[in-house]
Amino acid sequence: MILIMAWRNIWRSTTRSLVVIGAIAVGIWAALSLTGFATGMVKSYVNNAVKNIVSHIQVHQPEFLDENEVKFNIPDVAEVEQAIRSEEGVKSVSLRSIANGMISSSKGARGVVIKGVVPEDEARVSALEENTVEGEFLSEEGRNPILISEELGRKLNVGLRSKVVLNFQDRGGSITAAAFRVVGIFDTGNKPFDQSHVFVRRSDLNGLLASPADSALAGGALAHEAAIMVNDIRNVDTIAFSLGAELPNLKVQTYREISPDLELYEGQIKNISLIYLTVIMLALVFGIINTMLMAVLERIKELGMLMAIGMNKLRVFFMIVLESVMLGLVAMPVGLLLGYITIEYVGKNGIDMSMYAKGLESFGMSSIIYFELDPGVYGQVAIGVFLTAVLASIYPALKAIRLRPVEALRTL
Amino acid sequence: MKVITTKGVVKVYNPDKIPVKALNGVDLEIKEGEFTAIVGPSGSGKTTLLNVIGGLDRPDEGDVEVGGHDIDAMSDNDLIDFRKEHIGFVFQAYNLIPVLTARENVEFVMLLQNRPKKERRERAEELLRAVGLEDKMDKRPSELSGGQQQRVAVARALAPKPDFILADEPTANLDSKSSANLLDIMAELNREEKITFVFSTHDQRVIDRARRIVTLVDGKVSSDEVRGE
Repeated sequence: MILIMAWRNIWRSTTRSLVVIGAIAVGIWAALSLTGFATGMVKSYVNNAVKNIVSHIQVHQPEFLDENEVKFNIPDVAEVEQAIRSEEGVKSVSLRSIANGMISSSKGARGVVIKGVVPEDEARVSALEENTVEGEFLSEEGRNPILISEELGRKLNVGLRSKVVLNFQDRGGSITAAAFRVVGIFDTGNKPFDQSHVFVRRSDLNGLLASPADSALAGGALAHEAAIMVNDIRNVDTIAFSLGAELPNLKVQTYREISPDLELYEGQIKNISLIYLTVIMLALVFGIINTMLMAVLERIKELGMLMAIGMNKLRVFFMIVLESVMLGLVAMPVGLLLGYITIEYVGKNGIDMSMYAKGLESFGMSSIIYFELDPGVYGQVAIGVFLTAVLASIYPALKAIRLRPVEALRTL
Repeated sequence: MKVITTKGVVKVYNPDKIPVKALNGVDLEIKEGEFTAIVGPSGSGKTTLLNVIGGLDRPDEGDVEVGGHDIDAMSDNDLIDFRKEHIGFVFQAYNLIPVLTARENVEFVMLLQNRPKKERRERAEELLRAVGLEDKMDKRPSELSGGQQQRVAVARALAPKPDFILADEPTANLDSKSSANLLDIMAELNREEKITFVFSTHDQRVIDRARRIVTLVDGKVSSDEVRGE
């Protein structure tokens, strides 16, 4: 019956209750949407980085990571590739040979990382093909094709079909050079990456890297990096662990290890939602306190009567807390539903941030943000609202039980 | 036998500013089954005496014993529990719970006593029938007249089977027909169920029906008259 009483009590002042219920619902909606936005932004950053640059897992020769020299290639490439491909959960693999060198045109020269890839493998691992905005992606046709970025093309004043020269050291330590023809221009949206990377066919690069002494490595037998995409990003750690056990002489790293900033951002998502939630709930606390205090103060006489006829302080306290919790519980489904609809809608259609896209892209984010929310956040918000309602009712409830019945009864 | 005893009860309001002695040494004994009216002019201390007897207020001096319990020795929460079990209140302004129906109002104290639902319901209906409100059980106080509300209040006071019912000017807001009706009900309950009634009043119709009349003047008992009905 105390439940019934509390429920009916909150509807004694319909407008006042609706206002505070509305405030709580909007607060829940805002907390969910803001968290969804922040999560979407971080995920977009992480996904872009994974898709364009780091992929899910990379495998290298340990020394290669330290020294970055072409001689530290992955030994027994074919076996390693076979081992990776047969690993459960692996979606695609691209083996790359890598050289650090210089690209030059008649206009100038710049230092770049030259990545030799097998075109169809690379297309399955990274977004390089989709990001080829002009010309064509690498193919088996033509002689020495190269993909450069828009950014680099501008700096070197070269465009499609222009000729550029790459200079680098081969495995024997001699400087070698070759002319390549620009067949395509790519743009990943990440400026620092674009300026410093070019892509060629692995067979072309290997032919140049392998010195006459180790001509066996020319063609498909030389690679420095295996970039791997998995089917489900949540399994990335298990797969990396099992690969590490299978390839004990190689260094297997997940995207979080390769790019610690990604781990940092991902880790922050939880904090972001907590911070939003705390700030919003703090604001709501005062709204609820105000409402409940009014509800107590205008019922002093009634509360006095309840204590006079035998309702003890604990029960009075509990009734006030219950009324506050009920306000929260009525608002909760409304706010959660609004938040859910917003997140689902923007999650599908995205929110266009192109007004700020320039800034976003230099950080490696997309200009369209798709809201995303870990389902656990709904629960977190629900618990947060419940605690807020309880917290906010404590002061009014204390006020109620401090009343002395005889004085309360005397008030008009 | 359940008895109310007060010995030298003094109650001072505003002790720091302008002290007002609402009760100035009241000695009184009320026995089980009495139907007692406390009368006197406004400000003579009638309501204060009822509050002190009912444990709503504490005396500044003197002793109050209700049914063998020393009121002054109890904590606030003990007093609430004591009232719940032993004392029924009827207030001048009815003071029903506005969000509950007549039946729920009567059931409420029994709920506080953790009585089973079936028992609560049966007793509430029985009492509401006794006060002539069988057709108003599901009405809220705002849908009832003053007289009907006060009858619900009497039913509520009786519900926990208290030893004493203390009624503070129960007829002050009622017309003469409702007053007579209420008094009939209270007198009958007193006669048949041996419930002790103590009420403060300056309503002559009530005084006429009382079997004992205690007159207070300036916080003291000035006369104490026992008479047949």
